[in-house]
Amino acid sequence: MKREHPPGAVGHPYPRVEAPEKVTGRAKYSSDIRLAGQLSGRILRSPWPHARVKRIDASAAESLPGVRAVLSRFNAPDIKWYEEGKLFDETVRFVGDEVAALAADSEEIAEDALRLIVVEYEALPFKIALDERSSGKTQVKWRGDVQAGLREAEIVIDDVFTTQTALHNCMEPHGCVATWEAGRLTLYESTQGVFSVRCEVAEKLGLPQEQVRVVTQHMGGGFGSKQIAWKHSVIAALLARKAGRPVQILLDREAENLAAGNRNATRQHLKIGARSDGTLTAIDVRVLLQAGAYTAGGEESDVIGTYQTLYRCPNVRAEQTSVRTNTGPAIAFRAPGYAEATFALESAMDQLARELKIDPIELRLRNYTELDQQENKPYTSPDSLRKCYGEIRRAFDSLKGSLKTETKKRRGVGFAAHDWVAGTGHPPAEAIVRIGDDGRATLVTGTQDIGTGTRTALCQIAAAELGISPSHVRIELGDTASGLQSPTSAGSATLPSLGPAVREAAASAKTHSGGKGERGPNPFHKTVRTCGAQCAAVEIDTETGEVTVLRVVTAHDCGRVINPTMVDSQVYGGVTQGMGFALIEERIVDQATGVVLNANLEEYLVPTVADLPDTHNATLSMPDLEANTIGAKGIGEPPIIPTAPAIANAIYDAIGVRFRSLPVTRKKILESL
Amino acid sequence: MRAFEYSSPASVEEAIRLLEAASRPLAGGTDLLPLMKADLASPSRLVNVKKVLDDRIREDSGTLSVGALAVLDEIEKNPVVRQRYTALAEAAAAAASPQLRNMATIGGNLLQRPRCWYFRNPRIPCWLKGGEKCPAKEGENRLHALCGGGPCYAVHPSDLASALVALEADVRVRGKTGERLIPIEDFFVLPTEAWRCETVLQPDELIVSVEIPSTEARSTYLKAMERKVWTFALAGVAAVVRRSGGRIERVRIVLTGVAPIPWRANAAEDAMVGKQFSETLVTDAVDALLEDAAPLAHNAYKVPLLKTLVRRALEDIFRDR
Amino acid sequence: MASHNVTLQINGAEQVLELEPRRTLLDVLRVELGLTGAKRSCDMGNCGACTVLVDGHASYSCLLLAVDCPGRAITTIEGLAPQGALHRVQQAFVEADALQCGYCTPGQIMSLCGLLNENPAPTEDEIVRAVSGNLCRCGAYRNIVRAGRLAAAKR
Repeated sequence: MKREHPPGAVGHPYPRVEAPEKVTGRAKYSSDIRLAGQLSGRILRSPWPHARVKRIDASAAESLPGVRAVLSRFNAPDIKWYEEGKLFDETVRFVGDEVAALAADSEEIAEDALRLIVVEYEALPFKIALDERSSGKTQVKWRGDVQAGLREAEIVIDDVFTTQTALHNCMEPHGCVATWEAGRLTLYESTQGVFSVRCEVAEKLGLPQEQVRVVTQHMGGGFGSKQIAWKHSVIAALLARKAGRPVQILLDREAENLAAGNRNATRQHLKIGARSDGTLTAIDVRVLLQAGAYTAGGEESDVIGTYQTLYRCPNVRAEQTSVRTNTGPAIAFRAPGYAEATFALESAMDQLARELKIDPIELRLRNYTELDQQENKPYTSPDSLRKCYGEIRRAFDSLKGSLKTETKKRRGVGFAAHDWVAGTGHPPAEAIVRIGDDGRATLVTGTQDIGTGTRTALCQIAAAELGISPSHVRIELGDTASGLQSPTSAGSATLPSLGPAVREAAASAKTHSGGKGERGPNPFHKTVRTCGAQCAAVEIDTETGEVTVLRVVTAHDCGRVINPTMVDSQVYGGVTQGMGFALIEERIVDQATGVVLNANLEEYLVPTVADLPDTHNATLSMPDLEANTIGAKGIGEPPIIPTAPAIANAIYDAIGVRFRSLPVTRKKILESL
Repeated sequence: MRAFEYSSPASVEEAIRLLEAASRPLAGGTDLLPLMKADLASPSRLVNVKKVLDDRIREDSGTLSVGALAVLDEIEKNPVVRQRYTALAEAAAAAASPQLRNMATIGGNLLQRPRCWYFRNPRIPCWLKGGEKCPAKEGENRLHALCGGGPCYAVHPSDLASALVALEADVRVRGKTGERLIPIEDFFVLPTEAWRCETVLQPDELIVSVEIPSTEARSTYLKAMERKVWTFALAGVAAVVRRSGGRIERVRIVLTGVAPIPWRANAAEDAMVGKQFSETLVTDAVDALLEDAAPLAHNAYKVPLLKTLVRRALEDIFRDR
Repeated sequence: MASHNVTLQINGAEQVLELEPRRTLLDVLRVELGLTGAKRSCDMGNCGACTVLVDGHASYSCLLLAVDCPGRAITTIEGLAPQGALHRVQQAFVEADALQCGYCTPGQIMSLCGLLNENPAPTEDEIVRAVSGNLCRCGAYRNIVRAGRLAAAKR
């Protein structure tokens, strides 16, 4: 007997469980927290791109009534920060680098006091540009013999692509409230990783982790920029300890654009060699990566990853050099490395398709791989990318057939594929389910919900396992005090990490009145990957350079779709950011002074509602049961990856100009025509 | 913002009495507050003028009078403005965002300072702020002036200003010495060594109203932006054409995003006035456009963009859209 | 500097406060009055997260001085609907999944309320225009517009 699906069954829509709190304004973000006696903290930042901090005179600030604590390198503990620096370093290395901080009774007093701090700087030479002569730490990955592969090729595409520095500009700036009680610190933090912040802050303060608690009930966007602990958390903690009162620090929008991370600019010199049937014989790429002044988060974005995996190719050499510049430190930004590299790779593949007169999707199919060529293991879902190609095939052909073109407004359609290194999830991730006497369940996890629908999906998974409605599952999360390990919500990891743990906990709770679940390991003998494809239709006004993205169709492999509404929302979000990356977003630094000229939302242009294309998500649910016990993979990052090349390839289709430098501004279009 | 006193006078005389260099009028505040928050302005007193100035849009005896407090949303939606002073309605509609259009007044809009990113950064010295030279001239100048540049290369950001110059408006101001009616082309001035400001308004003066002579002319405003909405103009064109039979009696073409003040495209106008309309005439006007432009390293792309906008604006007017 | 005695009309109730002139309406709502629905995001009138209704019109509260607001009726997200019930725009946002992180959401909702107060049967273009002064970095725009349509239809 076929039953009707109960509301909120796995695989079916269910309204976001925290939506009522968010639409009423009741949801509390860290910027909304107000504790008794709370002070306002402010940070003084360097106006110089590179300078020695010789002297700081904070006496006038300290004696302003209402100022409760002032910190600088002369009185703060000597705490290392980034790989190379300190909390308050003797040398500042980018405009916006932290120099001093204070806490006062009100924002106004804090602002007035900050102006009274006198700093003597000795300006030093600085470097802003990412150019060919740049050199730094290099990593190289290779297989086969790329020179032989290039010689064997009947055609070589040899081009340089550049992508810009992009800024996350989350709607909620970074910030926290720090409060101490009996030597125990609590941070109400706007973060993607309560445990990662706890770990880092405890280490920096020399505290056992059990004495630090991090809480995030709601946070206003991260996109990677909040996946680590930043200085403001430790600064707030130190000020709070010194003043004996809670301290709130919120970065203002300028600081958010200077010192809260960015997507590295890249310069990618790419050579791809192929036979006349389109099969690749060589991929050779040299990447320069603008890392900024410091290494934040201990990792570098992996620009060379997709070159090694997306297409079947026996001969690959991929080299990435990280270049220090006196600009803000880079940090992961939604699919770090992959958004940048896929722009270059998919533009080159599009060019290859044209020159060989092969259909672009057919070209991808001829270079299809079911094997992880780096690890020499098969993929758990070897056919999923083909299925995504199939969905986009239909949309692509339909768009191509339906676009009419006038003389002044030209239209075109573009295609791009992608893979993504993460989205697999991983342990440790734990969950507890308790069943009450009324049959309702309480689900406790340590994860945070960064706005991606985590609460909802996890409730649905627990409910499905328990055979109850998701409305009868109450979820608690976002608090390290739960003691339940969880990964940072980065790398599209949350659902595939927590989902299996929740399912196991719920299964266990069915037979007892409570249960604990833990995420098991990922498969050893196979690789789990996420991947997908998009096509975009654009219209270009050739006389004004205006680009309108008419339509984007997406198909991604996120394994089993737990909640299609949440998946759609992630897709719309990624495509919107991908469109911004393609056309209008760009950090602009004055070469003469090292100052960021558009450190605000007026001149750093993010897409508005009027810019959004008609977007259709053709993603299929493709449960990947070898990946993990819920068969789901992450969808947070994949949708941003192929959007920019799909748009750039559509622009080529429309006007026959290949733009190898992002963003494709109106200026660039006008200059090309 | 630094601390300041706040007064809310009940009469315009009292308001004027309070005004001086350090005591600034507050209407919508949509440019004044951001300037203060960026520490580019630090008046010791704000004088609320919303109780003493007029927000009405009225037409009487051959003049459309727009009170200084009229907000952009009201200007955009006013049926008389839309019908007969279309460039002004379209400029108001294209400006800013819905919230700003609800708050921002025509008076404040004319007085807004440039958006130049060097000017707006309090830590970068620039000529307009009293410094020695303009950093945009050799720097990041993709958004900067094609004409009228030097010593300042910023562009005037106001869409309404271009429309009002094209409509030959007058600005009525009132100060300690009384009231004066200033033709809008004399209201805007290129900044000089002694007067580093874009308007002639004195510290003790208030804009009372903007008055536009009634006209049979057709007009339009077109704006090009980097994203679809809510950006200052990459380029904007206000065009006003009065015809009699097929002959062009009067034409004004005024450009936004081109110079430190709204910029009359004199050569393009001269190519058209007194002639019979034809497609060739529009081409002649467009060819003459910006002959005197002196592009900087990164802003030459604005020239073809402006030519297109001018052509389209004129075509829209002639097609009687 | 001297503080002023200020009487504000917030969500239909009178609030009497002692305020420095430089305090914005946004900060007073969030701190003195504990109404944290309106958000501080750019503080410069560039993002819309602080949107409230002033005499029914969507406005950026970060660009309003509280001392300059007596005599104006201010409506915030908290004032939209009585306890326990959702205003039709709020309900539409839930149904259409017109939010992700939720930080821009109160501002988006207030802008749509401003629209529907004035124009009960808006076109799609009018809905888009009404929220064109509210940024959403999560990119929930498509569903925000859908929520606008749903809410208008619920009239």
